Amino acid sequence: MDLPTLKPFFEDKPELLQEILDRYPPNGRRSALMPLMWEVQRAERHIGEARLHEIAEIVGVTVTEAKGVMSFYSTFHEHPVGRFHLQVCRTLSCKLAGGDELYRALVEETGLVSGETDAEGTFSLQNVECLGSCGTGPVLQVNDTYHERVTRTRLAELFAEMRAGREPVPTRERGGDNVSADKAERVDAPDGTSVDAPDGTSVDAPDGTSDEEGGVA
Amino acid sequence: MKVVVDGVTLDLPPGTSAIDAVFAAGSDVPYFCSQPYMSPIGACRMCLAKVGAPRKDRDGSWILDEETGEPKIFWFPNLMATCTTAVMDGMVVDTRSEPVKAAQNGMVEFTLINHPLDCPVCDKGGACELQDRAYEYGEGVSRFVFDKRHQEKHHALSDLITLDRERCIHCKRCVRYFEEVPGDEVLDFIERGGHTYIGTLEEGLPSNFTGNITDICPVGALLDATSRFRGRNWEYHHTETTSLDDASGSAIVVDGRTGRIERIKAGHHPEINKTWIDDGTRFGHEYADAPDRVRRPLVRHDGRLVETDWADAMDYVAARLTEVNGRDVGIAIRADATLEEGVAARALADHIGTGQLDHAPRPAGGVIAAGGQARLEELAVAGAILVVGDVTEEVPIVDLRIKDALRGVTPPSLFDHGAPIADLRLKERAPRHAEILTVAAPLRVDLMRHAGRAAQYPAGGERAFFHALTALAEGETPADGDLGMPLEAATAAVDGLRKAETAVVVLGGWVLASLQATEAALHFCRAVGAKPMLLGPMANSYGLELVGVAPSHARYAYGGMLTGAKALILSQLDPAIDPAVAERLDKLELLVVHASFLTATAKLADVVLPAAIGYEKDGTVVNLEGRMLPVRAAPVDAGESRDLTGFVKAFGEAAGQRLEGRSVKSARRWLKKGLGVDLDALPEHGGWAPAKRGPARVAVAVHEAPAHGGALRVPTMVRAEVLDRNPHLRAATGGLALGLHPDDAAALKLRSGDEVTVPVAGVPRRLVVRPSEAVPAGLATVPATPDEPVGLVPIDLKQIALERRALEVA
Ligand code: SF4
Ligand code: FES
Ligand code: FES
Repeated sequence: MDLPTLKPFFEDKPELLQEILDRYPPNGRRSALMPLMWEVQRAERHIGEARLHEIAEIVGVTVTEAKGVMSFYSTFHEHPVGRFHLQVCRTLSCKLAGGDELYRALVEETGLVSGETDAEGTFSLQNVECLGSCGTGPVLQVNDTYHERVTRTRLAELFAEMRAGREPVPTRERGGDNVSADKAERVDAPDGTSVDAPDGTSVDAPDGTSDEEGGVA
Repeated sequence: MKVVVDGVTLDLPPGTSAIDAVFAAGSDVPYFCSQPYMSPIGACRMCLAKVGAPRKDRDGSWILDEETGEPKIFWFPNLMATCTTAVMDGMVVDTRSEPVKAAQNGMVEFTLINHPLDCPVCDKGGACELQDRAYEYGEGVSRFVFDKRHQEKHHALSDLITLDRERCIHCKRCVRYFEEVPGDEVLDFIERGGHTYIGTLEEGLPSNFTGNITDICPVGALLDATSRFRGRNWEYHHTETTSLDDASGSAIVVDGRTGRIERIKAGHHPEINKTWIDDGTRFGHEYADAPDRVRRPLVRHDGRLVETDWADAMDYVAARLTEVNGRDVGIAIRADATLEEGVAARALADHIGTGQLDHAPRPAGGVIAAGGQARLEELAVAGAILVVGDVTEEVPIVDLRIKDALRGVTPPSLFDHGAPIADLRLKERAPRHAEILTVAAPLRVDLMRHAGRAAQYPAGGERAFFHALTALAEGETPADGDLGMPLEAATAAVDGLRKAETAVVVLGGWVLASLQATEAALHFCRAVGAKPMLLGPMANSYGLELVGVAPSHARYAYGGMLTGAKALILSQLDPAIDPAVAERLDKLELLVVHASFLTATAKLADVVLPAAIGYEKDGTVVNLEGRMLPVRAAPVDAGESRDLTGFVKAFGEAAGQRLEGRSVKSARRWLKKGLGVDLDALPEHGGWAPAKRGPARVAVAVHEAPAHGGALRVPTMVRAEVLDRNPHLRAATGGLALGLHPDDAAALKLRSGDEVTVPVAGVPRRLVVRPSEAVPAGLATVPATPDEPVGLVPIDLKQIALERRALEVA
């Protein structure tokens, strides 16, 4: 990752800055706080203190206030997150569907616990609350993409992709709750065709482990 | 509107909050987040009550209860936060039923879940809202058996304020306070939910009004660092008095214990400071207990000052005075002496038979405007305001009242229980009408951040500035450059003042320092129909001018007596900081100094008498509006210190005379006769001073030389002359600043933080270099003291002597 430079982030992006500021009336300039933060975070994978000062100055608030807003949302990062930010849901529905196992598998795979980033800056692991996709747990969000009903097999595939430096292709459920995990399809496969779900033997749920331990905090 | 609270029927104005209705009815609900003079936000849910109201049918008639035939009360389905509920006609509030009790109980239990319950070691213990409410409304047991949240317990938010994050109950009072009152958003909630804590990224909480959060924090989370672990609340003696730190007359409470002042808290004066005070007033009390305080009279024997008692010292003074012609004796007192002390000084002068009597600092322009002047309450509702000066440093409360005007919410009317607990007109992040405010000064001042228009005129150009404005008001074109702002801006400012129903022009010390500038300013006020507000330099400048502590001739004024008198009696003044004056004082036949510390002047004196400071006096002061306010002595051990009435009493005893003003009582008799005011009957919140001035003596304008020089003496919120004896304030401010434009500092090879000594108007000043863009190039700013009042003076930057600590040298 590039080291953050001292050059102001928006210095060479006047149009972008103007476009964002123009979204709000003059007396609502502070509303631009979050869009500006997103721009920085997208580019730098976190919002450093120098950036926060810059943004606060642009919208005319104190940096304390900017920090208050930023820290309110767990989606803004104070420290750089890895190239792959793994956010695993730990709320009830996902836990019942094997969220704890998923988390444990992630811990084993990455050697991290929630809140940590590896030394290479590849992975960050974080427990998060409900991602709003409760019917298709356990849910893992990689950067901005949801991966649903993450089984061991799927997880292995995900890691294979990520270790190869590729953004893994999202797996979304078609049909939601009415379709069992083994009927799930992967969408948007690289070649544009649908990929069949792995066969049932590799799915966690039927072997009973998640029923025993799911939901136990 | 008819409202029934727990069976008590009240008639309340619309807009009243239900919580105030409850208190007005003599009932009680607990509350944490509401705070008088701040917006209600309904955050703590402690003030829940059962609320209902009648409803109207479609045809506009009340829906009636079938059984009673009265309008039927429809209860809200849930308990309501009374602080955010406005009263409705016919509303019924019930604070005593079981569901309300259960809710209060539950909220106390919930609020205490993560609270450390460390009351035995908490400074707030015994005066803690949480402790009280938990006793009154809690069950006394908690079902929470898990680990509590742990957070930082001794976090220094600044040098003046310590934060215990575990004790915080997230009422948001402190956060709202900064946004709503001074408008400096330097504190905020960081994180969210159970992780929320109070924090700042602003180094040292940059605001002049930070200490107020320690008063309003309902728990012991925010604490005054000067008084941490110094005592328990029930041990403190609380003295309600008036601050003598500036001319506002702010109400303060002095908390003392075993003869020592431990802390100052804001008092409540609804028409002056509401419940706020500035940090200089709050934290600037430590000097009262400084180890080098003079506690006993000293008389010079064989060249050395030797301790003695008052009688002995005064015998000496009285005897020596007989050797001097009375007319050659000069008497000068500092302008924060009380009215009673002023009477004493007059009596002393009359007895000695001298016209050389004065108070200092006394601005040439005076502090009482002939045609009457604006009151703070008028300022707070003004539709247009022009400020010339740095009010934030000069009289900080004026800054806050101007910010009230920017919000455009009139001061609330009071209930029997005081200011409304929840004033529903106040909102978080209310829009501010910056356009009504114009601020002018020779440098960039803090209030300009809040002003619609800012003008930076050349230093010393106050008179020209007002001439230019008057020209504008009279339809002429003013000279270029005098206005310090674009012509359109100035025109808008003048039009605003002319059109506003209440327009106020605030005149700071730089204007008052010059009689001509003051006259020009008052002329402008008349031209646009604005009321002037004159910021006197000290707490009782107004009062001393009123009772006529003034010379009988201009050449007998303070400056004149320093050269002309053969003997001097000086109270709390220190002219000898100027080596040239010191040389002259050394040759006097008699120098009597009434002082709290062994100042440069006291060191030259024949007799030094220990002087009481503001917290140790009884008396009266008149604030800048002309309001007489009571000063009450805190029970403090100040050795044998006395105020001037005590001085005059001892002198009279030595001279075999019962002088007027020998006690507060006798001074008040004189004031009753002379001014027609009965100070013994002064109402709690003070009363208006009479328009009539004291008999016999006339305040004479001081001879005025045109101001020139490269240094502007600027007012400071802290008392500059005692800053070194106020360790906490000194640490927080970093010492007295020599303000320079960064380019000028660079040219002199000075860096921020360098300690230097530099002659300013002949007085060597020890200052800390603070380069700042706020200071225009070519100008230096130095803090004013009572002995070096605000204004433009010469500085000799060539003679600057740098003391860099070895470690700092690169
Ligand atoms: S620090 Fe005190 S005033 Fe501030 S939110 Fe916490 S409890 Fe309220
Ligand atoms: S519980 Fe995991 S997405 Fe809702
Ligand atoms: S909710 Fe806090 S006082 Fe009403």
